[in-house]
Amino acid sequence: MSSYVKNFGGHVRAVLTGLKYLVKPNRITVYYPEYYVEPPEGYRGMIKYYPEKCIQCGLCAMICPAGAMKMYVKKGEKKGRPGVNYQRCIFCGFCVDICPQDALEMTKVHDVAFSSLEELVFPPEKLAVEVQSPALLRGAVKVKPVFDEERGLRHE
Amino acid sequence: MLSTSSGVVYSRLLLREGDESVYELFIGPQHPSSGHMRFIVRLQGDVIVSVDPDIGYVHRTMEKLAEGREAIKAIPLLERLTIIDSHNATVGLVTAMERLLDVEPPPRALYLRTLLSEINRIASHLYGMGIAGIMLNHSTMFMWAFGDREVWLQLAEELTGARLTHTYSVPGGVRRDLPQGFGEKFEKAARYMERRLQDYMRIFLENPQVVARYEGVGVLKKSEASRLGVVGPNLRASGVKYDARLADDYGAYKDLEFEVPTREEGDCMARMLVRVEEIKQSISIIRQVLRKMPDGPILSEKYLKLLPPKTRERVLQEGRVKFPALFASLKLPAGEAVARAEMGHGEIFYHITGDGSAKPYRLRVVTPSFRNVILFRYLAPGHRFMDFPAIYGSLDYFPPEADR
Ligand code: SF4
Ligand code: SF4
Repeated sequence: MSSYVKNFGGHVRAVLTGLKYLVKPNRITVYYPEYYVEPPEGYRGMIKYYPEKCIQCGLCAMICPAGAMKMYVKKGEKKGRPGVNYQRCIFCGFCVDICPQDALEMTKVHDVAFSSLEELVFPPEKLAVEVQSPALLRGAVKVKPVFDEERGLRHE
Repeated sequence: MLSTSSGVVYSRLLLREGDESVYELFIGPQHPSSGHMRFIVRLQGDVIVSVDPDIGYVHRTMEKLAEGREAIKAIPLLERLTIIDSHNATVGLVTAMERLLDVEPPPRALYLRTLLSEINRIASHLYGMGIAGIMLNHSTMFMWAFGDREVWLQLAEELTGARLTHTYSVPGGVRRDLPQGFGEKFEKAARYMERRLQDYMRIFLENPQVVARYEGVGVLKKSEASRLGVVGPNLRASGVKYDARLADDYGAYKDLEFEVPTREEGDCMARMLVRVEEIKQSISIIRQVLRKMPDGPILSEKYLKLLPPKTRERVLQEGRVKFPALFASLKLPAGEAVARAEMGHGEIFYHITGDGSAKPYRLRVVTPSFRNVILFRYLAPGHRFMDFPAIYGSLDYFPPEADR
C-alpha cells in the first residue's frame, strides 16, 4: 500500500513539474531568418583575406588540416595567394592562427547558402571580398544570447 | 527461465542451437538512436536471449588518416570521434603529443583545458540523458536536456569560437584566453543547471514510470564490470572507483578537489544517477578553476619565443595565440608516448609513436564506447524486449566514437 502512496506522490510531482513549464515556458528557439543570433566575439566564421598584408609565404595552405586552403599561382608568378574551398573547410582557424601577417581573419558570418558546389570555391580575389550574412541583408533583427539564472539562455 | 534471485534479473545467455522458437530481430542500422549501428537481437517470446552489436557502420579510418598527415592536423580530425565531447576526446591526444615533444604547457593553459573539459562533460551527459529519455519515449526529458545543453555550448563557443569543433588545445597550451565576463556567465549557467537538475529528478528519474523501467534492470555486477574492462559512469555505477582524471596527470585536476561519484547497484538507474552527480561535480570543478586560475601565458615558452617579438607581445596581451611557423610541420621525435583522459563516456587512451618525421608513425586510440559496447551482449539477455531501449539509453553508447 505504502508504495502506491509513494508512487502517487511521484506522479503528482512529475506532472506538476511539467505544468510549471506549461505556464512559464522556457523556450530558447529563435525564429531565423526574422531574427539573427549574433555570434560572440572571436567566433570562427567565414574567412576574410587581406591581399595587401600577405607575404605569400604559403603557411596557411600548409597547415590546413582539411586541404581546403590552396595557393593559387598566377601565370608568370612564382608565389601564390591563398584561396578557400568551402566544400572542405571545417572552420578550425588554423590558417588564421599561423598567418604571420594577420592577412587572414575570421568573420562572424556563417549562414551563407550557395546554389552550386562551384560557388563554394573562393579564389583569392573572392576571398578578399567581405561576405555578408543574407539574413542581415534582408533586415533580420539582431539578438544576443544572454545567460539567465531563471531561463538558462534568453535572446534579446 | 529467468534467474531472479533477490528479485533482480541477472543476464544469462539462453540460446540453444537449432531452436526454432527463437527469432531474430534486426534493429538499425538506420540510426537506432545515437548513431548508425545494428543490433541483432534474438528473442524467445518477448524475452531477449542474445544481443549482437553489429558495429562499424560509421568507421572512418581515423587512425590511418591521422598517420597520413602532419601531427597537428590530427587534432581537428580526432575531435570528430565524439563531436559532442570534442575537447575531452582530444585533450588526451594533445597530452600524449606534448609528452613526446617534451613540452610543458603553462599552468594557466592547464586550467583552461580543465575548464573546457568540464563544460564538455556536462554537455555530453546532458546529451546522454536526453537520448536515454527519448528511448523511453519521454520526449520532455529529451527536449529539456537538449535545450539545456545549448547553455553549455554557448559557454564553450564564447571561450573557443565554435560550438562543437573547439580545436582548443594545441601542443604547448591552448589557443585562447578566458573572455571578459566569462565567470559571471558561467555562474548564471551553473545556478540554472543546479535548479534544472532537480526538475530532471522530479520529471524523469524520480518519476515512478521511469523508476519502474530503470530500477533493477540491466544490472552489471562489480566483478563483471572490471572483468569486462568497462569504463566511465557505467563502471562507477557498479561500485568501481576509477577515473582517468585521477589515474593520469593531465589538465589541472591535481590542484582541484572533486569527488568521483560511485554507486553500488549497477542498474540502469545507478548509471543515470552517477551522471547527474557528475554534472554537479563538474560545476564545482569549474567554480574552483575560475577561482584558482593563475595568471600567465597560455602557450609554452618554447613556442612563444619562436614568434616575432611584436606578435609575441600581442599574443601575451590579447590572449589569442598565434602559431609559430614550425606548427605547420611539427616534427615528432622518435619514440612513443601514451596518455589517458576521462571523457563523458569514460576513459579514452592514446598511444602515439613518432619516427622523427612530421607525421605520426602510428596513432592508436581506444575510445570509451569501444570498451563499453560489450555490455549490450551481457546486460540485455534475460530481460524483456521493452528493457532493451532502457539499457541502451543508460549505457550512453555513441557509435561514431566506437567505430572511429
Ligand atoms: S579554417 Fe581550417 S579548414 Fe578552413 S581553410 Fe583555414 S585551416 Fe583550412
Ligand atoms: S599565411 Fe598569411 S601571409 Fe602567408 S600566404 Fe597565407 S595569408 Fe599570406
